[in-house]
Amino acid sequence: MKLLLVEDNERVTRFVVKGLQEAGHTVDNADNGREGMFLAASEPYDVIIMDRMLPGQIDGLHIIESLRKSGNRTPILILSALSDVDERIKGLKSGGDDYLTKPFAFGELLARLDALSRRSQGSGTQTILEVADLRVDLLSRKAVRGERSIALQPREFKLLEYLMRHAGQVVTRTMLLENVWDYHFDPQTNVVDVHISKLRQKIDADFERPLLRTVRNAGYMLTSEG
Amino acid sequence: MSKVIRSTAFALTFGYIAFGIVALVLFAAPLWYAWQVTMEDGRSDILHADTQRLTDVFHREGATGLKTFIDARVGMQLPAERILMLADGSLNRIAGNLKEWPATVPAQAGMYTVTLDLSGTPTESVVVRTALPGGYNLLVGRDVAKFAPLTRHFWSGLAGAVVVLSIAGVLGGVLIRRAILARIHSIRQTVLAIVQGDLSHRLPSSSSGDELETLSHTINGMLDQIEQLINGIRDVSNSIAHDLRTPLAELRSRLEELSLTRPTNEETFAEIDGAVADVDRVIRIFNALLRLAEIDTGMRRSGFVQVNANELAAEVVEFYSPAAEVKNVSVSFASNGPVLVSGDPTLLAQAVGNLIDNALKYAGVKGSVTVEVQYRPDGAVEICVADDGPGIPDTEKPKVAQRFYRGDASRGTPGVGLGLSLVQAVAKLHGGTLELTDNSPGLRARMIIEPGALLSGRPRVLTSEPRGGTLEVKSEPSAMAL
Repeated sequence: MKLLLVEDNERVTRFVVKGLQEAGHTVDNADNGREGMFLAASEPYDVIIMDRMLPGQIDGLHIIESLRKSGNRTPILILSALSDVDERIKGLKSGGDDYLTKPFAFGELLARLDALSRRSQGSGTQTILEVADLRVDLLSRKAVRGERSIALQPREFKLLEYLMRHAGQVVTRTMLLENVWDYHFDPQTNVVDVHISKLRQKIDADFERPLLRTVRNAGYMLTSEG
Repeated sequence: MSKVIRSTAFALTFGYIAFGIVALVLFAAPLWYAWQVTMEDGRSDILHADTQRLTDVFHREGATGLKTFIDARVGMQLPAERILMLADGSLNRIAGNLKEWPATVPAQAGMYTVTLDLSGTPTESVVVRTALPGGYNLLVGRDVAKFAPLTRHFWSGLAGAVVVLSIAGVLGGVLIRRAILARIHSIRQTVLAIVQGDLSHRLPSSSSGDELETLSHTINGMLDQIEQLINGIRDVSNSIAHDLRTPLAELRSRLEELSLTRPTNEETFAEIDGAVADVDRVIRIFNALLRLAEIDTGMRRSGFVQVNANELAAEVVEFYSPAAEVKNVSVSFASNGPVLVSGDPTLLAQAVGNLIDNALKYAGVKGSVTVEVQYRPDGAVEICVADDGPGIPDTEKPKVAQRFYRGDASRGTPGVGLGLSLVQAVAKLHGGTLELTDNSPGLRARMIIEPGALLSGRPRVLTSEPRGGTLEVKSEPSAMAL
């Protein structure tokens, strides 16, 4: 992926750029709003990572608004130290596609970037999702692995659907909370892990090759590889 | 003095007095005008009638006849105020009660107001001069001096009214000013005491219900809110100092030890992972505190929507049920159909989640947790989460909702001691309370909140998104074991 990072903090920039490059992405970075605006408007990027408070009195939200006004539809992830729900809503309203609060775990950022780039490629019209021999029919709401039909609770189905839509990508616990349950808070305990292990029991337990894998320090991934 | 002049009571008093005088003048002026017009019209009617009668005598009987007529009238002791005189072409007196033709009367015929010398005193009179055939001049008049006192009375009456009005106004103003100043002074004293840092002061209030009283009441309400916020900030700063230092101290010693001992790579990485976990713990506490601060400001009320508390609780129960299964705790949910509240769905879900999380933490092995959502007899909404764990001793109950407080039973369990604080803050934001009672055994936590006002038209029931048949608990009274 080709990414743009607009962020004025040097340490955060170094950490994010290094991490993204190690993950195999190309990263441009701008440390002020003017340069960020210029790069975002002139180069094609897969995802833009935008800090909210930038030097020179330019709020990242203004940049996003002007980009959207000029017809630029590149997915944008907002990075901000402002954590209030209202701020989050403001960010998404201005045209951002996702909102990540600082401080953040790198795994969380990477997973969200993957999800954003995938979203922009558009896969919303599919009615059947497939990963290896696991098949989910969104219309009849049935899941089948190999020859065997798997009985799922409605919420388990939603969880599996989300994982399958992001097959091959790391999905974090927060992403699952937000997208499967629509909960924007910290549930204190490892409830998401328990839901995952229940789902794993159903789709992986009796099969030779497990599909749902735990990614250390990040989250989970549904994949047919290795 | 300038202070007096600038005072509101002073300005008001003088404004009212000026207004009163203007009103008085506006009332008196037309009256005065009407009176004058009526007087003059009547007077000129009489004079013209007299003139007409004398002219008729002149036409009938000639100058001699008129002289006889006038002499007879004067001889009959004409009332003093009446003026009557006939003169020839050169204005020599022929008959009448004046010694000579008055020089002040103009040469042309007509009606005039002149000063005449009547029996030695100059008197204001109205006269009609008529030219008769043959060069004769007739003068008919009335002495109007007797009306002067009437006019004087009118004006002095008006002046008296102005004086009385002014005195009453000033007196009233002084009294009002004194009364208002006394109350404003006491308000000012209180506010000054508060400015100096003692937030416990409140404005004096009686039950008179007047404007100042209402204002005092409103200000007291504001002060309550401010005091609460400040206490909240104080509590949080104290708690941060105490509870945030612990993980930071751990983190610091971990890193310092790492730097001093220089262990093998593998050990180093393990320690770094541990350090990241420490930082995550600090961040968690920060996030919880920020969320609490956000709730305490009351800002979230702007985002209130109609929420079905029953459905919301059912979803949270469903969310936590796998965790309960792992702990071998049974969770049951009971409700009697939709229970509508006006609220913030995210915060309500988080609060219910915290209660369930707590209950699961303390429920005994093979224990049970009960969640109930219902209307109370008084119309309030109750979300109750009960467990059969060790419970909380009565002495600790008031403390557990305090920030960072951790009871004896919670030592060694994960958590930062903000869970119940958040529940309490959320309940308060929704105009309610958090009640903790014994479940013998265990704890019964009740979040009591105000029911949602039914929004006009169709109720807007908020669900995160449409989903098919989540739980069979929506309509009929039923209990569900999970």
